[in-house]
Amino acid sequence: MARKSDSPGTPAIDHEAIRELAKLLDETGLTEIAVERDGVSIRVARHSGGAVARGRSVEAAAPPTTVAATPLPVDPAQHPGVVASPMVGTAYLAPEPGARPFVEVGTLVKTGEPLMIIEAMKTMNQIPAPRAGTVIQILVDDGQPVEYGQPLMIIE
Amino acid sequence: MFDKILIANRGEIALRVLRACKELGIATVAVHSTADEDAMHVRLADESVCIGPPAAKDSYLNIPALLAACEITGADAVHPGYGFLSENARFAEILAEHNVHFIGPRPEHIRLMGDKIAAKRAAQELGIPVVPGSDGDVGSEAQAQRLAQEIGYPLMLKAAAGGGGRGMRVVSEPTQLGSALASARAEAKAAFGDDTLYLEKYLTRPRHIEIQVLGDGNGAAIHLGERDCSLQRRHQKIWEEGPSPALNSNTRDEIGETVAKAMRAIKYLGVGTVEFLYENGEFYFIEMNTRIQVEHPVTEMITDIDLILEQVRVAAGGALQMTQDGLKFYGHAIECRINAENPVSFRPSPGKIVHYHPPGGLGVRVDSAVYNGYTIPPYYDSLVGKLIVRGKTRSECLMRLRRALDEFVVDGVETTLPLFRALVQEKEVIDGQYHIHWLEEFLARGGLPG
Repeated sequence: MARKSDSPGTPAIDHEAIRELAKLLDETGLTEIAVERDGVSIRVARHSGGAVARGRSVEAAAPPTTVAATPLPVDPAQHPGVVASPMVGTAYLAPEPGARPFVEVGTLVKTGEPLMIIEAMKTMNQIPAPRAGTVIQILVDDGQPVEYGQPLMIIE
Repeated sequence: MFDKILIANRGEIALRVLRACKELGIATVAVHSTADEDAMHVRLADESVCIGPPAAKDSYLNIPALLAACEITGADAVHPGYGFLSENARFAEILAEHNVHFIGPRPEHIRLMGDKIAAKRAAQELGIPVVPGSDGDVGSEAQAQRLAQEIGYPLMLKAAAGGGGRGMRVVSEPTQLGSALASARAEAKAAFGDDTLYLEKYLTRPRHIEIQVLGDGNGAAIHLGERDCSLQRRHQKIWEEGPSPALNSNTRDEIGETVAKAMRAIKYLGVGTVEFLYENGEFYFIEMNTRIQVEHPVTEMITDIDLILEQVRVAAGGALQMTQDGLKFYGHAIECRINAENPVSFRPSPGKIVHYHPPGGLGVRVDSAVYNGYTIPPYYDSLVGKLIVRGKTRSECLMRLRRALDEFVVDGVETTLPLFRALVQEKEVIDGQYHIHWLEEFLARGGLPG
């Protein structure tokens, strides 16, 4: 998104600069860059779409066809269906960058099915589902560092 | 200088390291087991990472978890404290492979001093006095007699494959040597499958005197005086003081310089302690600890030098800030290790501390991670904290210690405070006339009313 300056004698839109900024945005993974020079300001922003619903409300997460879900306690760690991290590392929700995540909210899993990967020192460790059920909440983001015992997901 | 230090330990030493990091402006990462979630240093650290369940092998000794914690926090150095992995050469090497600094000596020196026989040999080569004895197997009875003549009685026959107090036999006079040799060999063969015996001079009432050293890794090293740690129970130190009541400044300078010279020769990096048995004016090397020690505050109190800070500084490539001549000693310091144990039976007493009031005032320091309402977990050591006092003289120090002990309140668990209150009244402690068996003899004759 670029904005023309209001001052008279406005110079032509600097496509080159916009393209540069957009490229910079992609390369750095930033969500917004704004530049101002000689009274001209350019702002390039990315809107992330299709974010996985990591809602705090049960209603948004639970699919309508299932039996009424247990209301989530304030502290997810107390939920009986919580899956806690068995190790320290970085959580990845998909088998590799760009691939579909292992599970999503609403996915039905069997015992032992991989839920996510926790990477530590270049080794990928698949985290298996400790029980069968439905994933009702995913508590970590892709690429988030996790500690031992940290609640990762809730499976009911 | 490091940007972020991960503290791979717990309890009072983790808090101690955290304090030094804060003063240096270095970011801190506290790693902890689930049992230590409420630890004081975890609360105070900039970041914390839970690395495992309570058992030490799954948490504080868990190298992969520690490495992962370094990775996710971006720590560029690890301080191992004492115990746990502090003298694990492999841990130091693995960290280096992952471009994380280990705040401690080089792995080769950790390894050298970790092997007690190699350490003794190295000490000897470096001119450090060792317990006189046979070089390897004692040989035939005739050879043994000859060696015994040189060393003098009493002496100790030790099984090379033994350990833990087993396979040792005291020989008090020449007439006993022959039969002692024969039965010791038979016993060793039966118990360890190896009848190799070596001979050592037996010290009956030595003192435990250790020398603190600091090296920059490039050939500069100094000693920071001694600590007398003779008051021990089952080989555990409970009371340490510096300077030693048994040494004068000449003796101190001499042994200190011998040790410092050896550290210069091997280009030792970091802090370390060379431990001796001292009897009849002679020093005998027992071992070297290549880490910071529990009783380091005694040295800090009489030199005004922050040993943890110095450790971090030299590990980051800094030079020593002081010379041997520039080092001064001020007064006297005594440390008491207060444990959560019954003061008579020494049975551990973990649990919740419902009321905690540590003493204060001039010359009083308490190194403890405990606080009001803190629960001492049952999985680790029972140290409540260290009470360290300093004074201009040993007498002043003792008076201050007596006062501080009386003020110290730890309610909710049993502690060894009553033991120390009794010790400060004992004539031989007041006179500084004790040795490594003294405390156990005191306890055996019911020194502390039950």
